[in-house]
Amino acid sequence: MTGTAMSSTAISTSGFTSGIDLFNVADQRMAWLNTRQSVLAQNIANASTPGWKERDVGSFASVLASTTGITPTRTSAMHLQGTATVASGAHIVRGENAPDGNAVAIDEQMIKVAQTETDHQTATAIYGKYLGMFRMALGH
Amino acid sequence: MDLDKALTISARGMEAQTTRLRVIAENLANQDTTAGAPGGKPYQRKTVTFENQLDHATGASMVKVKKVGVDKSAFPQRYDPSHPAADGKGYVQTPNVNSFVEVMDMREAQRSYSANLQVMQVTRGILTRAISMLK
Repeated sequence: MTGTAMSSTAISTSGFTSGIDLFNVADQRMAWLNTRQSVLAQNIANASTPGWKERDVGSFASVLASTTGITPTRTSAMHLQGTATVASGAHIVRGENAPDGNAVAIDEQMIKVAQTETDHQTATAIYGKYLGMFRMALGH
Repeated sequence: MDLDKALTISARGMEAQTTRLRVIAENLANQDTTAGAPGGKPYQRKTVTFENQLDHATGASMVKVKKVGVDKSAFPQRYDPSHPAADGKGYVQTPNVNSFVEVMDMREAQRSYSANLQVMQVTRGILTRAISMLK
């Protein structure tokens, strides 16, 4: 009797630790979306600035892989520890240039803003749902 | 925080477009302003140029009005000897303002302003949703 109770506790705790950590993933997703939103705001604010090139952040999949997956191995104490953060810089997107060297298409940017908003909505919904499960488990 | 940054960037963008709209209003209002004295220079069209400026507090590229300059193109002339500003040959120099160009520019400023406003509203929505998770 005690044995079964022990094993069920072990399963439930391992479920929290070894399964997909939704809190962590949703958190990273939101941080990435926040960064993207500010990069898109820069593009739109500079839509009339001569020579401004459109910027965007790297894909979320690559960010997730770099933060949760493989990390660089240090073979010497002199090496710098590889740090991969969500805020890893925005890169310039190659596009068509206007005569003044500006390469921002407002419509494309607005689509990206809308996408960011929807994705953020999804991430917050998942976070809230998961939190609700915890609440339910705690009997609230 | 990135969302605060996004709000500031959009606000600066709107500010820049407001300056642009102000200059357009000046140009349109003065499109018939000629000189007071004979042979004098009429109103010269003003232009706005933008530049991006790295804001050191936030580390983001904000937009800024670089300079309000003047359009150096030639003034169109009109033959009107009875005009007070007419020169010896009876020609009056008129402002180099083209109302079609100004109106088109105004539309562009309007679109740009609404785009910035839209981004601001979306950013606000994201912030609100994030806060409402605390409820």
